[in-house]
Amino acid sequence: MMDAILNWCDNLLENDIWFYLITTVIKLVLMFAVILAFVVLSVWIERRVAGWIQDRPGPNRAGIPLTLFKRYGSKEKQPLKNVLHYFGIPETCWIAKLCTWLKLDRDIPTFGLMQPCLDGGKLFLKQENTPSYVRKIYFIIAPMLVLGPPMVAAAVVPFASSASTCWGDINMVVANIGIGPLWIFAISGLSVYGITMAGWSSNSKFPFLGGLRATAQLISYEVAMGLSIIPLLMMFGTLNMQDIVSNQAANGWTLLPLWGEGLSLQRWALMVPMVLSFIIFVTCVFAEANRTPFDMAECETDLVGGYHTEYSSMKFASFFMGEYAAMVIGSALVVTLFLGGWSIGFGADEALHAWCDWVAVICQFLMFIIKLLAFIFFFVWVRWTLPRFRWDQVMKLGWLVFLELAVANIFLTAAILYFIK
Amino acid sequence: MFESAICQIIFYVFAALAALCAIGVVAFRNPVASAMNMALSFGFTAAILFGMGAQFLGIVQLIVYAGAILVLFLFVVMMLDVKAEEHSGLMPMVVGVVVASIFAGIVTHVALHLPGAQDGACPVITACENIDALAVTDTPKAETAAPQQTGFGGSLPQLDSKAANQAANPGMRPEAAAAATGYPDVKLLGKTLFTQYNIAFVILSFALLSGTVGAVALARKIRKD
Repeated sequence: MMDAILNWCDNLLENDIWFYLITTVIKLVLMFAVILAFVVLSVWIERRVAGWIQDRPGPNRAGIPLTLFKRYGSKEKQPLKNVLHYFGIPETCWIAKLCTWLKLDRDIPTFGLMQPCLDGGKLFLKQENTPSYVRKIYFIIAPMLVLGPPMVAAAVVPFASSASTCWGDINMVVANIGIGPLWIFAISGLSVYGITMAGWSSNSKFPFLGGLRATAQLISYEVAMGLSIIPLLMMFGTLNMQDIVSNQAANGWTLLPLWGEGLSLQRWALMVPMVLSFIIFVTCVFAEANRTPFDMAECETDLVGGYHTEYSSMKFASFFMGEYAAMVIGSALVVTLFLGGWSIGFGADEALHAWCDWVAVICQFLMFIIKLLAFIFFFVWVRWTLPRFRWDQVMKLGWLVFLELAVANIFLTAAILYFIK
Repeated sequence: MFESAICQIIFYVFAALAALCAIGVVAFRNPVASAMNMALSFGFTAAILFGMGAQFLGIVQLIVYAGAILVLFLFVVMMLDVKAEEHSGLMPMVVGVVVASIFAGIVTHVALHLPGAQDGACPVITACENIDALAVTDTPKAETAAPQQTGFGGSLPQLDSKAANQAANPGMRPEAAAAATGYPDVKLLGKTLFTQYNIAFVILSFALLSGTVGAVALARKIRKD
């Protein structure tokens, strides 16, 4: 019986098309799960880091309160004491102290991680109120158009290198297409429809102003964003994200060329345009994700609430999920293009691959997650450090500074590539 | 056989949807609905281009038309009084029908005069058979870069990506060329635009630039003092 099933699986996987389909579905589910988990996680990071920066605890309770259960919960009979007593450990030893420090004697500790989940539950259970004066169809479509595109855009981000199995190689990217960054620009550019639609279909003044602001800002910064990565593409000579990362793994990250061919004079001369393009690109990612200091579209002091004023319950929440998803994708893009993506660096990738493919893939995946978390932390750090720009300053920065800088940067890169060998 | 049938079905479904949305653009009275239909139509056209392996053209369709130009349209359209537009009289309708038929006439004319269209052959295939005349690749390996089989089922071309990759990058190591996935359409397009059609390309850019400058000059308010 078992043999028959295994044989059947084997035969199925031998077929190229089925192998491709099955691995793609697995990768798709994994990628989707990671993005959704990161949306929740980045809300938590946002609050914890905000608390830390403002010198207050932030969400650290919301655990699973054991005090609710009579049997364990009364003050005298705490669960920790019971457990310690059971194992015969004295209450003054270091294990007990460590447990007390981790607040294990009161609740099951969750470090506030339950808070975003409970928030989600609250938003699900809230009353859904659609005003009578809105344009219904567009009003309903708009939140979907904001949440959907970032999820789709994630398809081209590589999260590890490739691993070989007995049925064939698995490339650890959902869609290994030759136009990676352009795909992300195109798809995440579509979320501007959602915001515009939301502002317009709400049929009231302030949401409309918010929608218009968002549209103008997203279009302006898309131009500078697209131009800013051209020097990078000139250096790597490819648009395939997996190739770009493999190149960085072999020859040094874009911003850390310390091994391989990265030690050449040309690469170090190219650091000038690369750093410039990194600064422009990161700023544009902030603007595209509608994050402070560029959160013009939901600037509550000017606009009541911005484009989502008329929304309630889960529709309102999906705007925020879309914003956080855009932040995660933006971070993934920056990490992939400038900080080496999944590569561990210093030649460790090749060594691990020579030892065991799957260990290498898992290490690279963890490395990617760590880099992503670090960049999300940076996002939050900036939010609580810089004040919001004025509207005209935002437009001036986009059109008069970044656009010119990005174009000049392209010429500078071309000159370096041509003259310094 | 099975795959080619699926490819055919996908192509015809997207083509039909694109055409349907294009009709929707002129049929809807609400200008915002028209604009959204246009966006959908652009999306389906991009899907057709993706299916043909022209990934770059497809993505440019999305970035430039759906992502930028149409958003600007929407920007303007939303400032209009939609209710008034919906109840406007017969005159705009007549104008719309006339303009749409003129465009339909132009498209039909072009389609009928594409190479091979008169003999009932697919124009794209005919163009690909004459790929040497297009001089996309100028290395000795160019002939192997020509299409060898048809994608999207039988009627549309698929290109031999490995040979084409090598032809497009003469300096590429053989193993890198073998590993390269997909047709190098970005490289070929760039090469064609910046060598064979360079002058036309530059002239077009200048025409666009002068248009922009003209618009700014017209829109700028001249101060009295």
